[in-house]
Amino acid sequence: MRTRAIARPRALALAVALATTGTVLAGCASTAQTPASAGKSGHFVVAYSQSNNAEPYRAQLNIQLKYFMEKYKDVELLPIADAKQSSATQVSQVQQFIQRKVDALIVSPNEPAPLTSAVAQACKAKIPVVILDRSVNTDCYSAFIGGDNYVAGKKAGQLAVSLLPHGGNVGELQGILSDQPQIDRDKGFRDAIKANPKIHLVVHREAKWLKDDATRITGQWLAQGQKLDLVYAQNDPMALGGYLAASSAGKQKSIKFIGTDGLAIPDGGIRAVQQGQLAGTFIYPTCAKEAAATVEKLLHHQKVAKKSTLDIVAVTPANAAALYKQNDFSRYR
Amino acid sequence: MTGEVTGVAAPVQVAGWRRAVSILGSLQGYVGLVLVVAFGIVTRGDTFLSQANLTNAVGAFASRGILAVGETLVILTAGIDLSVGSMLGLASMVSAMLLVNQDLPPVVILPLCMLCGAAMGLVNGIGSTWLRIQPFVMTLATLSVFRGIDRQLSDNVSVGTQVAGPNGALTGHSNTFQLFGTPGHNLFAGTLGAGVYYPVLAFVLVCVLCQLLLSQTRFGRHVYAVGGNETAARLSGVNTDRVKIAVFVLCGLLAGFAGPIDAAYSASADPLAGTSYELDAIAAAVIGGASLAGGRGSVVGTFVGALILTLLDNVLGLNAVSDNLQLIIKGCIVVVAVVLQRPDLLRSLAHFVRRITARTGRSS
Amino acid sequence: MPPIPDDEPPALSVRGIGKSFPGVRALRGVDLDVHAGTVHALLGENGAGKSTLCNILSGALTDHEGSIELAGRPVRPHSPRDAHRLGIGMIHQELTLVPDLPVADNILLGAEPRTRFGTIDKRRMRARAAELLAAVGLDLDPRAPVRQCRIAEQQLIELAKALSVDVRVLIMDEPTSALADTEVRRLFGVIRTLTARGVAVIYISHRLEELEEIADTVTVLRDGAGVGTRAMADASRAELIGMMVGRPLGEMYPGEGAPDAVAGTRLRVERLTVTADPAAGRAGLHDVDLTVRAGEIVGLAGLMGAGRTEVVEALYGVYGAVRGSISLDDSRYRPSSPRAAIRRGLALVAEDRKTQSLVLDNTVRFNASLAALRRFRRYGRVHRRAERRAVDEQIAALRVRTPGGEAVVGTLSGGNQQKVVLAKCLLTRPSVLLLDEPTRGIDVGAKAEIHGICRRLAAQGTAILLVSSEMPELLALCDRIVVLCEGRVTAVLDSDEASQEAILTAAMARRTVLAGAASGGARAGEGR
Repeated sequence: MRTRAIARPRALALAVALATTGTVLAGCASTAQTPASAGKSGHFVVAYSQSNNAEPYRAQLNIQLKYFMEKYKDVELLPIADAKQSSATQVSQVQQFIQRKVDALIVSPNEPAPLTSAVAQACKAKIPVVILDRSVNTDCYSAFIGGDNYVAGKKAGQLAVSLLPHGGNVGELQGILSDQPQIDRDKGFRDAIKANPKIHLVVHREAKWLKDDATRITGQWLAQGQKLDLVYAQNDPMALGGYLAASSAGKQKSIKFIGTDGLAIPDGGIRAVQQGQLAGTFIYPTCAKEAAATVEKLLHHQKVAKKSTLDIVAVTPANAAALYKQNDFSRYR
Repeated sequence: MTGEVTGVAAPVQVAGWRRAVSILGSLQGYVGLVLVVAFGIVTRGDTFLSQANLTNAVGAFASRGILAVGETLVILTAGIDLSVGSMLGLASMVSAMLLVNQDLPPVVILPLCMLCGAAMGLVNGIGSTWLRIQPFVMTLATLSVFRGIDRQLSDNVSVGTQVAGPNGALTGHSNTFQLFGTPGHNLFAGTLGAGVYYPVLAFVLVCVLCQLLLSQTRFGRHVYAVGGNETAARLSGVNTDRVKIAVFVLCGLLAGFAGPIDAAYSASADPLAGTSYELDAIAAAVIGGASLAGGRGSVVGTFVGALILTLLDNVLGLNAVSDNLQLIIKGCIVVVAVVLQRPDLLRSLAHFVRRITARTGRSS
Repeated sequence: MPPIPDDEPPALSVRGIGKSFPGVRALRGVDLDVHAGTVHALLGENGAGKSTLCNILSGALTDHEGSIELAGRPVRPHSPRDAHRLGIGMIHQELTLVPDLPVADNILLGAEPRTRFGTIDKRRMRARAAELLAAVGLDLDPRAPVRQCRIAEQQLIELAKALSVDVRVLIMDEPTSALADTEVRRLFGVIRTLTARGVAVIYISHRLEELEEIADTVTVLRDGAGVGTRAMADASRAELIGMMVGRPLGEMYPGEGAPDAVAGTRLRVERLTVTADPAAGRAGLHDVDLTVRAGEIVGLAGLMGAGRTEVVEALYGVYGAVRGSISLDDSRYRPSSPRAAIRRGLALVAEDRKTQSLVLDNTVRFNASLAALRRFRRYGRVHRRAERRAVDEQIAALRVRTPGGEAVVGTLSGGNQQKVVLAKCLLTRPSVLLLDEPTRGIDVGAKAEIHGICRRLAAQGTAILLVSSEMPELLALCDRIVVLCEGRVTAVLDSDEASQEAILTAAMARRTVLAGAASGGARAGEGR
């Protein structure tokens, strides 16, 4: 009696496991046949896969993309899919969109390599794909739109050179060292400050794009007795974190801070330039407006540029107020 | 008749050696800290010991340290709280939004945040007692839930706490809020010289209060009893569910308390603030001698553990050790600290030495 | 002086075994010869060094002085695995089974037969397990999880596990401490078949009557040294006890002691009913009636699974609300939780002190005051000085042998741990004391002391309900004995009519058929 009581659930479990495996295999073999959602003629469905909603820059991008997409009446943007910084999640989301047979796909890749095959699958399914900001390792996409991190770093370096005409000591707060934007901005900055050999990059550390880490690290630099004239941070939160540490040591006037990103939010870089906390920052383009326009063209089979690189706009105390107004999307949230 | 099973009266030098061992043993818990501090003094004497540097170092870790204290309470009952980082993040967002949107005075914001944290802790507590979900699973779930609420509230945009009024200067409440820990803003500045940096004060105060709670009150005894042997505690009349819920609530309350500190430290509440802080909190508790099996550990130990973590980071930073190397060294120090604090370490070491000497003695 | 070698060397021979722990000299120069086909008992108070010796022999403790010879060949086991390979098996006092693994997996843990693909050969494993189970007289499905088996069965499973290798020497550390008499019989039967096959058995127990039955030779240890070895047949109880304690101990169970105080009824239980819960290993109770007067000691007797523990736990509120009517000093009492029970003046010394009563890693003071912290409350704090004073008083009154209140409970011997549990109960100033196997696994001296404490408490007017598997204990202590069988009261015996035979008859009132079958035992729904 006891024997059977034990044996039965085991057999049951086995059956369930087999059934599940079977379903999964079947699911893999045949791509779903359900037609594109709500396919009225002249009505297009567009999906956007975002790598990480939680970054302020990307949150801005989301808001702007929704705003610009609404301007095209024949296009419906599906709820934005958040990959939460996971390439695996993003791949499966892209695949789901392919299954749904959306009319166009916008992807902000979390990492190039893992997303390559997913984009290739979309391409094979004849879905136009617009890649934003980070590239993928295939040419099988319709358009790439992005800023140039090297240029962002280089412009920051040029600003540093002009702020320190007699040379000086510079510290650099870096994002996560293995991130491509970090690598590019770092290279651009270093190349630009070579223009003045009296500018020395004396310290540089990884602050992981985070404000509190930047505060802590800058505090340590100042405690070490580093004589810094300028700190370049690869994003605005790190620049502001550094500024906090300097102001706690009473050195906020003698050290200049340069950031990058230039978001038009109350807590962002443009405001900080306006308030004089940062000497300058650079608007790294969100590409939302251009992405919306490109998608619209693709859906109507018009020609688009395969690759377009957008300009990096410098924010100075002089133009900060105007740029803030121009880029402020908070009322559309 | 005494139960002391001591051998023949020990020779004098053996007694002396024993006393030395026992004194060393009682100091052992601090060996890791002593080593880190010694390393700091040797390599970067004046800089390391300067008040500003120590304040910076402890202040940067204060919010995580407070989380670690709450975590210690939970770990003592043989539970674990993985959601502390998310609770801190949500509390910091709540504090910033109350300040920016409602313009509430910070003295009101702080208790509201603590209440908010306590409510989150209550959810954890109820889930892991009445619903019989293992604390690890329950708090793993709420780690995600609380973070989601945080991000929903903020719409993924960080909220700055330095709010400028119409005249361009900071508003009064925003200015006061900076006292919660924006670097460079100290309490009682003027009356007490440079003043006291609130995060450090808060951390120390929380440690003192919780240590007293654990060592002096019935509740503290019950916490140790539940973690040491839950059945025995229940049969001794301890309401074990209530104790477990209480530690989760306290842990949440402390996370709520730490929220404004974290927001003020960065002068903004980031939707991702506090991510992975739970690991630092658990690390501090474990380095401080808490046993994940429950029943063993103390807040004093956790305090020491937190100091080891933050001072180590500080010392490595001051010595400009490369970031990659820092990761390796920090991991190794955690292992070394835990091993050094093992109560039977000296004994087993002495045993080992004795065996080696005996062997060489025999062979010669 | 080395012993003169016989024609056949002893199966196991140890010379001058010594071992030190920090601060304690656990063993000093113990000699022991165990011959094949015999049962050699080790006797001694807790802390005398029996367990240390066995742990050395079984490889659990290394780094000792002295030498070990197996059948004349010097060996030095470095680990339990090593000892296994040499043919030394050990059954620990605490069961070492994995509750959620099936019986077969437990028996062959670490020695699983494998198929050619390297996976476990389940079929062969089950067959081998069934074989071993049969050898110890158990009829169990090898696929059943160990959790479902009763303690007695688990004990025999341990034995089967020890037999899974070709043992030459089998060490058994208190194998009967959790068994009732019939189950002990069964175990003895297995031991006899083993010795008939030429296995040498080292047997540790505190129960002298058992040793008289099963052991051939006995060695007494005291304070880590061998006091002497006797042939069991030639040794008298008094002599052995004298050797163990090192002082003459008048009598083991100084009888007599029924208080003639005709006090009122303290505890009255009527129609107490608890539903069985096989998953939690709980037996059911059906309409149990009993009364305990102030100053009276009432015994609860019965076999394993008869519901003795359930009666005291139900009264103590462990199961929450129960059916039946219970009154304390003529006022209604509804069990709801241990907390409420303590407030009403009940105290429980639970069956298993290690898992149910003590926080082993904490101090004597912490444990003793845990249930009574309310008493020491002052300004929201625990008043340390009052607490320490009260605990020290109890330590002195109960003669707990401990370096002090700050000693860690886990380092004390079993008897002293049990006294700490008693101290914890007494600090709540109970009017009803529930004792569940209070003397299990503790040495003779401590046992006698605990008996003395019970009598003293009763004389002071405490009502005591005592559960025990040892009939001599019940007979010596109790004014009345209530016998349970399968959750029902089958007899209430006054001290003048109680005898081992009477108790056993009542305890097996409904199981005569099953008891006759002897090997199977009743299993369904009553495991513990």
